[in-house]
Amino acid sequence: MKQIKVGLATCGISAGGEAVFAAIKSKLDATKTKAELLETGCVGMCYNEVLVEVLDGDKSHLYYDVTPEKVGRIVDEDVIGGKAISEWLVSGPGVNREAAFFDKQKRIVLRNCGIIDPGSITDYLDREGYQGIRKALAEFTPEQVIEMIQASGLRGRGGGGFSTGLKWKFARMAKGNKKYIICNADEGDPGAFMDRSVLEGDPHAVIEGMMVAAYAIGADEGYLYVRAEYPKAIQRLREAISQCEERGFLGKGIFDSEINLILHIKEGAGAFVCGEETALIASIEGKRGVPRMRPPFPANRGLWDKPTNINNVETYANVPWIMRNGAEAYAVLGTERSKGTKVFALAGKIAKSGLVEVPMGITINEIVFDIGGGIRDGKAFKAVQMGGPSGGCIPASMGDLSIDYDEITKTGAIMGSGGMVVLDETTCMVDVAKYFLTFTQNESCGKCTFCRIGTKRMLEVLERITEGRGREGDIDLLEDLADKIKSSSLCGLGQTAPNPVLTTLKYFREEYEAHIRDKRCPAHVCKALISYRINPETCVGCTLCSRKCPVNAISGEAKKPHIIDPNACIKCGLCHEVCRFDAVVIE
Amino acid sequence: METIKLTINGQEVLTHQGQTILDVVNEHGLDEIPTLCHDPRLEPYGSCFICVVEVAGLKKLVPACSTLATEGMIVETDNPRIHSSRKTALELLLSNHYADCIGPCIDHCPSNVDAQGYIALISMGRYEEALKLVKENNPLPLSIGRVCVRDCEAACRRQIVDEPVAINHLKRFIADKDAVHKWTPRVPEPNGKTVAVVGGGPAGLTCAYYLTLKGYKVTLFEKLPNLGGMMRYGIPEYRLPKAVMDDEIAWITGLGVEVRMGMELGKDITITGLKGKYDAVFLAVGAHRASTMRLEHEDEIEGVVKGIDFLREVQMDGPPEFSGTVAVVGGGNTAIDAARTALRCGAEKVAIIYRRSIREMPAHEEEVEAARKEGVDFHFLTNPKSIVSENGRLKAVECLKMSLQEVEDGGRPRPVPIPGSEFKLECTTLIGAIGQAVDTSFNDKTDGCDLERWGTIKVNDKSLETSIPNVFAGGDVVTGPWTAIGAIAQGKHAARAIDLKLTSGNAEQADFSFASFKHHFHDVTKVELEDVSEDVPRQHLPELPPKERIGDFREVEGGYSPDQAESETRRCLECGCVEYYDCKLRRYADQFGVDTTPFRGETREYKVDHSHPLVVNDPNKCISCGRCVRMCDNELGVAALGFVHRGFRSVVRPALEKPLVETPCVACGNCIDTCPTGALAEAFPHKVLGTMTKLDMPSVCQFCSLGCPVNMKVVTGDHFHVANTTSAVQNGPNRGLLCSRGRFGHRYLVENEPVAAPHLGGGGEPQPVDWKDALDRIHAGITGVVAKHGVDAVAMMVSPRWSNEAQYLAQKAARRAVGTSRVGSFAYLDAPHAQSGLNAQLGATLSSANLADIDDAEVVCVLPGAMGEESLVLETMIRRARKGGARVVVLGETGDRMAALADQWLTPEPGSAPALFYALVRQWLDAGKVDGKSTVEGWDELRRHVEGFDAERVMKTTGITRDCLAKWLETFGDPERRMVWVVPPAGDDGHDTALPALADTLLARGGFGRAGDGWILMDRHANAAGARELGVAPGHLPGFMPTEQADDLKSAMESGKVKALVVLGEDPIGAGLPLGKLDFLVAMDRSWTKTLERADVILPAVSAAEEEGTITRCDGVVQALKPVVPMDAERWNWRVIARLGARFGSGFAFESVDDVRMEIREAHPMLSVDRDASYRGASILARGPVNGGTFRFACVSTGKVEAEAAPDVIAAERWFKENIRTK
Repeated sequence: MKQIKVGLATCGISAGGEAVFAAIKSKLDATKTKAELLETGCVGMCYNEVLVEVLDGDKSHLYYDVTPEKVGRIVDEDVIGGKAISEWLVSGPGVNREAAFFDKQKRIVLRNCGIIDPGSITDYLDREGYQGIRKALAEFTPEQVIEMIQASGLRGRGGGGFSTGLKWKFARMAKGNKKYIICNADEGDPGAFMDRSVLEGDPHAVIEGMMVAAYAIGADEGYLYVRAEYPKAIQRLREAISQCEERGFLGKGIFDSEINLILHIKEGAGAFVCGEETALIASIEGKRGVPRMRPPFPANRGLWDKPTNINNVETYANVPWIMRNGAEAYAVLGTERSKGTKVFALAGKIAKSGLVEVPMGITINEIVFDIGGGIRDGKAFKAVQMGGPSGGCIPASMGDLSIDYDEITKTGAIMGSGGMVVLDETTCMVDVAKYFLTFTQNESCGKCTFCRIGTKRMLEVLERITEGRGREGDIDLLEDLADKIKSSSLCGLGQTAPNPVLTTLKYFREEYEAHIRDKRCPAHVCKALISYRINPETCVGCTLCSRKCPVNAISGEAKKPHIIDPNACIKCGLCHEVCRFDAVVIE
Repeated sequence: METIKLTINGQEVLTHQGQTILDVVNEHGLDEIPTLCHDPRLEPYGSCFICVVEVAGLKKLVPACSTLATEGMIVETDNPRIHSSRKTALELLLSNHYADCIGPCIDHCPSNVDAQGYIALISMGRYEEALKLVKENNPLPLSIGRVCVRDCEAACRRQIVDEPVAINHLKRFIADKDAVHKWTPRVPEPNGKTVAVVGGGPAGLTCAYYLTLKGYKVTLFEKLPNLGGMMRYGIPEYRLPKAVMDDEIAWITGLGVEVRMGMELGKDITITGLKGKYDAVFLAVGAHRASTMRLEHEDEIEGVVKGIDFLREVQMDGPPEFSGTVAVVGGGNTAIDAARTALRCGAEKVAIIYRRSIREMPAHEEEVEAARKEGVDFHFLTNPKSIVSENGRLKAVECLKMSLQEVEDGGRPRPVPIPGSEFKLECTTLIGAIGQAVDTSFNDKTDGCDLERWGTIKVNDKSLETSIPNVFAGGDVVTGPWTAIGAIAQGKHAARAIDLKLTSGNAEQADFSFASFKHHFHDVTKVELEDVSEDVPRQHLPELPPKERIGDFREVEGGYSPDQAESETRRCLECGCVEYYDCKLRRYADQFGVDTTPFRGETREYKVDHSHPLVVNDPNKCISCGRCVRMCDNELGVAALGFVHRGFRSVVRPALEKPLVETPCVACGNCIDTCPTGALAEAFPHKVLGTMTKLDMPSVCQFCSLGCPVNMKVVTGDHFHVANTTSAVQNGPNRGLLCSRGRFGHRYLVENEPVAAPHLGGGGEPQPVDWKDALDRIHAGITGVVAKHGVDAVAMMVSPRWSNEAQYLAQKAARRAVGTSRVGSFAYLDAPHAQSGLNAQLGATLSSANLADIDDAEVVCVLPGAMGEESLVLETMIRRARKGGARVVVLGETGDRMAALADQWLTPEPGSAPALFYALVRQWLDAGKVDGKSTVEGWDELRRHVEGFDAERVMKTTGITRDCLAKWLETFGDPERRMVWVVPPAGDDGHDTALPALADTLLARGGFGRAGDGWILMDRHANAAGARELGVAPGHLPGFMPTEQADDLKSAMESGKVKALVVLGEDPIGAGLPLGKLDFLVAMDRSWTKTLERADVILPAVSAAEEEGTITRCDGVVQALKPVVPMDAERWNWRVIARLGARFGSGFAFESVDDVRMEIREAHPMLSVDRDASYRGASILARGPVNGGTFRFACVSTGKVEAEAAPDVIAAERWFKENIRTK
């Protein structure tokens, strides 16, 4: 029987996947067609959603941009007729439209995403699911498992990049009968969504990774801390956990071993800082999500003061693969000190936004241009913002930088969880810094003085700079505060909050100076520093701008050049957008 | 514990693992690291980042308070980077601190007089203290209270609501009061140094005053015939009567200032001459030269005079006789003074000519108004152009009308003549009052100091020192014409600088003092003050009617009445912070010289929460350090406070941002002590006292028997409040924590007047008598009753809260001097068990463990009883033990909070607890864990007794389930475990058999004297243990020596056998106890009570906090007390009782409290009154029963006897319940 898979991860849903799914279902019913209609996760091509795959044995026809209107033809011609509609295909007979997108990828974490039905444990089992944990239980001692993970070179994918094996070792060595295992699925960086995709597309991989970790450190209980904004992921996890419990994969004596493991799901309430491990633990304990001083580290004193291992979703998702394929297979990928692959979430002004998994060591330009298809609308590549609000901006001039933990850290940015926001020439770097600082300022837990008030004062300085009220000395003030905030904050949030400002100051200082000294925004973004003018040479007097202007600031006779009254203009930019003759210029 | 070595500031130190860097630095005294979020009593938190230090190898700075010291660590605790980071942290905190440290009134006063402080003191009726406070910064309040320009009032926030507080009128009020009974400061011994002050105006007088108070010999030189300077010669009599001023000046010179009149600088004396003769010179010669109007011939024409010259001549020679119209040119106070004086000199009409409008007039608005009322005409926007004269005699003044032109820099608008607007104003006298200048003609090349371009003397701003070393200058001669209070400020500054110069060689003072002000953030608006009631209008001074007053120079304004003053004080908004001196944030801000300007931005603003009657929560002052939250939640288990919001907006607020009063708050106030700023502060029953300094006086709580150390902050005189902020009190077993009684109950002493003197009562209003008459009357009364009814008709009842010395002497006076055996307390009339319940078994009733043992226990068990609010502190001790691994068992209904602490909570039926104990004994016997061989009498009986307590019977009697019982037996299965038993006062379970049963249990187990083991007898009264030990009980003498008693004290009282009663410190009548028909009643108490009102003889008492003595804590630890507030030592209770005893017989001659202590020690071996915190009653019991013999088992039975709730016989306790608890 033919299978039809609809991409129903959050990206698929937001592109209209549910309507497509329903349309297919009713079309199948109406035509009394026998075909298996399935959901699947995100394959990474979020820009092509809704994706629908028609499978006949091992023959696959993958359609993109599917709408309910297209469903009729796909069912009639392909499912029933057996003939691919080649103009709608991403891949299929003779078509491989997205070869470039996939060629440079190496999919370990995402290997099942968009391929299996995440609601089906058998799908997972069919693709070597739970072979990793079985192998661990059958063939290795916990210490050997830890050695393997250490040998693989896997580093924490949540941002810190700490050696996963070493972390497990500390938890293993910590004294105590009761130990916990936690999966940090509180993905909070704006622009990062790989954890969500994995949970939505391959939840069992994460659970299996946790099983291996639990066995390795000696934990018998664990939590998945998932943000409540990820309802689909939570639903997938619940299903997956109960499937495991039914089969004896979780509970007492898992996989017929002596090992017990129960897993709970804890929904986070959306505080960014709860991604910080000590705050996350406090939150599970029912306290205000506030970080605490380390040491003691969670490996020694974690949840309910017991030794606890905490890794994020992507880290765990790597583990089953390493168990099955061996540490060496993993370690051959990547660079000297950063092994394996990393998933990046491409967003911003890039042509193809989505999720990509690439081996460590790939360059920024390869990702942006070869995989991501370059900048949208033919604009110039300016910078890439990496690592979310804790990260920084790397300028286009450093596009040949090979991506690994250490190289990125050298630039002032961080790998972070893998958010990669691509910026083009129309982006004001001061504005970008302000955006990320606004985020951290709102998400600071408010505990430490520097993070609570210092970031606020930095933000106020950025605000006045972008509003044309910048003063001489503001850059020094920003740098001084940034330095102090970094050195006097308890957790990563505060320690990295100034990074967006510092990296933009490092690479784009002249933009700051232009704002402060010349009261000019070079990228024409900061409203207080720009004005709109109509070029009488190019204006044909079509009157469109004057009709669209919400405040009637544009006047002029038809077929004659118009003018903008600068006093009435609110700089909304609508005239600039609607003008078909590029006659509205920004100065 | 493992020892580690680390290097701090280059010094190697050893410590043990688990210590923070801060702990190590403090332990070794290596530095004083500033901290805000750190409280040594709370878990480290690390949020303020003030305590950052540098650790070698780390890029970041780390908070010392929460970073553990590790082996080999190299730490630096101060360097420029650390300093800069700390300073920035403070600046950031203060950039979000929308609050006033001090009131704008204080800040705007040139001399920083603490207006808020004296207003508060006036509101409390403490006039003399208010005056003393004023004189700390202004020695001339009588004069200034009349003539001040009142910058304070101009800054007063109250005017946003209606009108400013009449601050100056209040100052005048207390100064006028003082004029009758003058307060005089103590002048120290001369320090041998001399200072010459030239000029007897306010600057010179002030400087002379403050230098005299420092021991300098001051000589004051004055050119004019009288002292007072411009205040005398520039301010008319009707505003400042010279007699009033003379009074004040005489008070200053009377302190020992030598005055030499008629001495003119540059003529009679010279700077060089003075400098040669005196250690320092202060020049304060003023600015007496009038400015000219710049009119042609103005100096030649008869009838044209200068304002200041005119006023001086009126003062020196008496008022001239005017007729016709007098024109005065100018808009300042001198112009108004000249105009009003002219009226009083008989002018028919007076006109003021001023070139701007009324809005720009520099004269004080009230003065202008007074002049108007008196009929002065005002010609605004008018300027004199020329003088019209006839034969050298003034005829008129020609004037021009002016218009105002705005100026660009926002200054006063410029007047511009209107061409052709000339008009003539006929007048007989023209007074030019347009300003004064400094006359420095004394200054020449050979004898002079450097001058400023505009003619004033040039000084160093910080020291007021002139170009000539040791010669200082101040007042108008430096500032140009300024105000009287401005001159006073300069005089004060100079005195300080001269003292510094002559003692340290450097006159410059580092006077950076940080203060936060709301108006530095933005204008304070009416919205913020919307809750301020406008019902209390500003009080105006009574004044003479205008018609009457222009007839002569009588003072126009009268002073406030006390009612007016009180009403006016209520208008004060108390802007300044109540924690001014205790605020760590402000202290560090001073220390680091912070500047918040670079960080000004948005502030987080909240309404101050005044909902709670005892605690004020001002979130604007919160620095989010979380100390209160950790205190309230982790330490006390109350959780009334928590964090709300995130990021910049995060702040500590009551849960759900409700008003504090709607939270589970137990009003213990421990949050106040831990708050490093004023965000949580005590809601005082009086006004906030501004910047007054407070004295820390350690004492011991006067309520329950936990004997918690309290720190009384004495503000002034006998006024204090409790604040446990010192490390001395925080080192007690309560770690400084208090319950509501401990913190707020002592207000009883502040808010209730002490009985002033002995009185005779017995019908009608009690009449004060002297001590001898009172004691004679007592002697006569008691001997009369004894003669008629025998000694058993006399009873002595003593408060179990009085000191050991007073208790001992009281029972001695009763037993030995009077000869009666009826001694006790109303507090235990119904509960003799509480005093003697263990006497039969142990020969004494005492605690066998001390409070510190709770920490070392493996199991803590709380017995049933009346555990009230005082359990709060005990709970924290038990909670700490539990954190340390102890198991907690709670028996019975001891309150939800105690139960919430329990690992096991059993609720046996009332009276059935003995069943649980005997079940334990039975278990131990059965298991052979006790051998039954120790030397206790009654083993066989005990064996038989416990036979009856099999599981079935125990379950039935106690109502405890099988599982619960099993767990109980398991917890105490091993008799060797360290167990602390907390025995609360007996509650409604009046049978009180639990305690003897417990004693039987531990006797059966044997072995007293281990650490972390034993029982603690709690009581509702602070010195209950002392009363027991000292035999203030019907059943035994001091040291639990058995005694024969006539019969039961209670029934004797009830049956009317007692005819004469002496009640010390108890209030049975107020508590509703029937006293029967008494022939004679003597009552002694600290404040008036119902019992005192009914007594035949009334004696004043003091509280234990007001005398020297000792009290004994529940666990037998003796704590010494010192008087917290000054109280006549003759009134100390032990002295009064000694005198009373002496009236009856010998043996009462005690010189000092030590004499009494010595006798107590000799009375019985166990009564050593010098026991310290290491004392354990068990060490006494380890030697056997207290008065010889053998221990005995009591083998008590179960069963409930109804008991009445203990009456509140202590007035302070009732006052607390009625006045504080009900809030």
